[in-house]
Amino acid sequence: MQRRESAPKILILATEDCAYPGANSVGQAHLSYGENTYILRTREPAMFPERFYLDCFDKGIAGIIIMSCGVECPYEGAYDALAKRVDGVYRQMKERGLDIRRLRLTAICTVCNRAFLNEVKNMNQVVTELGLPGEEIREAVIA
Amino acid sequence: MTAKGKDKTAEGEAKVAVYICHCGGNISDQVDVEKLEAMAKEFPGVTVARRDMFMCSDPGQNKIIEDLKSGAADRVVIASCSPSLHETTFRNAVMRAGVNPYMYEHANIREQCSWVHHGEAATRKAAGLVAAAVGKARHLKPLESIRMDAVDHVTVVGGGISGLKSARDLAMRGLKVTLIEKTPFLGGNVAQLDRLFPTNEPAAELLQEVVDEVRARPEIEVLTCAELTESEGYVGNFTLKVTRTPPTGEEECERLRTVEAAGAGEGRFVPFVGILPEAVPATEETREISTGAVVLATGFRHYSPPKGLYGYGEHPEVITLPDLIRLMAEKEDTGGMLEVNGRPIKSMAMIRCVGSRQIPGIHEPDENGNLNEHCSRACCTATLQADREIKEKYPETVIYDFYRDIRAYGRGHEEFYVGASQDGVLFLRFEPDGPPVVGPASDPDYALSVMAKDTLLSGQELDVPVDLVVLSVGMVPSDVSGLIDKMKLPVGADRFLLEVHPKLRPVELANTGVLLAGTCQAPMDSTEASEGATAAAVKAAALLAKGHVELDPYVATVNTELCEGTGACVAECPHPGCVTLVDAPEGKGKKAEINPALCTGCGMCVAVCPNVAIEVNGWTLRQYEAMVDAIVALPATKELVEA
Repeated sequence: MQRRESAPKILILATEDCAYPGANSVGQAHLSYGENTYILRTREPAMFPERFYLDCFDKGIAGIIIMSCGVECPYEGAYDALAKRVDGVYRQMKERGLDIRRLRLTAICTVCNRAFLNEVKNMNQVVTELGLPGEEIREAVIA
Repeated sequence: MTAKGKDKTAEGEAKVAVYICHCGGNISDQVDVEKLEAMAKEFPGVTVARRDMFMCSDPGQNKIIEDLKSGAADRVVIASCSPSLHETTFRNAVMRAGVNPYMYEHANIREQCSWVHHGEAATRKAAGLVAAAVGKARHLKPLESIRMDAVDHVTVVGGGISGLKSARDLAMRGLKVTLIEKTPFLGGNVAQLDRLFPTNEPAAELLQEVVDEVRARPEIEVLTCAELTESEGYVGNFTLKVTRTPPTGEEECERLRTVEAAGAGEGRFVPFVGILPEAVPATEETREISTGAVVLATGFRHYSPPKGLYGYGEHPEVITLPDLIRLMAEKEDTGGMLEVNGRPIKSMAMIRCVGSRQIPGIHEPDENGNLNEHCSRACCTATLQADREIKEKYPETVIYDFYRDIRAYGRGHEEFYVGASQDGVLFLRFEPDGPPVVGPASDPDYALSVMAKDTLLSGQELDVPVDLVVLSVGMVPSDVSGLIDKMKLPVGADRFLLEVHPKLRPVELANTGVLLAGTCQAPMDSTEASEGATAAAVKAAALLAKGHVELDPYVATVNTELCEGTGACVAECPHPGCVTLVDAPEGKGKKAEINPALCTGCGMCVAVCPNVAIEVNGWTLRQYEAMVDAIVALPATKELVEA
């Protein structure tokens, strides 16, 4: 069997009001984390339809962390809508045989340095264990 | 799509210029900027890639302007520090080149790259971030900012020296001001002082002068016993609710009795109370204020030592520096010795850094798990000032000044240290893990003894008999948790309110239109607090000077060609009237229509449109997809193939 392990890429969707400045705060503190992470600034992740996440996995993104403002979200109703959307993505991931740990919804504030680092570390452990999206399906078939 | 090879035709005529900032060495010390420049030149759509030591400098901005004016590029990507610092700078540069300011995308390769990754990894990561930004830039479209009328009114929260000075400076610039103060009094912490360093001018005179001016200005409305209870809106058009409540707290009522007993009346300074500018409200009342900007001047409170710390709360002879200042100010100058609680003070100890510069593992966190790791800055000179005053008034009193470090950093502060040394104050240095120990005195002529190791000279164990121990307590932020919740204010790790950038935007919060004045931001002395207050006032005045504010055009728009009028967006939008279905021309059914004035740009409607017919300007799904494509197109950071 040929097994490929390739520092899988992690996408971080970070809200411009909370998590993006939070990631900056981690930088200001010069705290290090894996460079396989790509932070995209968003106004509010509730804008992404379910298919966006599934497309990311199809393209080879191994893990996605949605770093929202949580209950501090400045947009009325957006966090609830986001949570519902993520549930929908989970359902579809299960149908496709994708491990739902690849997608994580969390809340990160502007000074949540430790929480930010913890989330990145945990997702790195997940993607290191699972490999690229779809590898868990192949593993399951082989098993 | 691959990262290599030009592919301009795929996205029409998009010509992207990439500019990479060294940021001194902040970026280039970790990121191989020459290599990054070479890589960027190969990204699809890139026609120009250049570097500069400081892209935000005039020469750096001129490069952008030259390339756009020459037609070498029609949009730009700046790879530098966080966009929160220089987005406006670069937008203005693009605009000066005659190009729409929104034809610009940013790659944050400092806070999210060179400051967290090192060496080759940093370069690879930077390449990924730049590639993503280029991917988005190729899909940028010109946008027009939304112009909204701005209210020529500023609300100042806090009636200490910073709030008073901000209010006065704003009024001098012709703006109407409402100053709200939660207590019945103006003056804040400065009213609890006797004299102010470095000039030793009486705090009373300074406050009286500023309050007189505030009260005399018709542009300024002062509301005491008032708290901000609701906040909504945006720069230029905030709506605040302010509730005034009759004072019921024991401390406030005591102070009101003090004012009455002093016969000072409204508008006159009462030592260690402040100035009562108006009668307190008899009943609770709430009013709505339309305001263009908010200046926060909510101040600080002194650290309150827990019982047992250096004997505080256990021995009445252990007091804080604010206690000492008040005792000395209220003592009639009859000569002789300083007396505290009837005890003549032959010998006393000052202990510094109490509740400041706390170290994890050495100092105990408070009941909320907080450590005050910050230096409170002002207490060093305040202690030296007290040293000098005692030596001046009571030269026979022996003063032992126990310190970790002395930070007499401001103009005229060092002179206090030199003066105290010449006055005979004995300075004894201790280490954080070996602080002085205060206990009952073995010598019956004294109340206490302070045991410490003289770490600077001999390392000798000292046992100093004293009649008084004064704790130089630090500054901690006022409890403004309610305000933080209501206005969603950013807070630093030290729990003070957090400015956008200490040098570039030192009095601005990330919440546009909300500004910081004084010690709500960080420990500082009254001179610095006054400087901050003026800066905040000027910044607020500049924001509102034009009579309008320009907001980013990040609102939803509908592509009527794609819209099938499903109404999913209408159902999803939380703002009534923001998205509606209207009849399309020529009987082409219903189409969604956006009211930009009501749209917050949250994008919830985008996610539910089956045809991607609705997008948020500047943050489109297509742009995100392009960013993801660019990220996945780059080679993985490491490859390991096991047979």
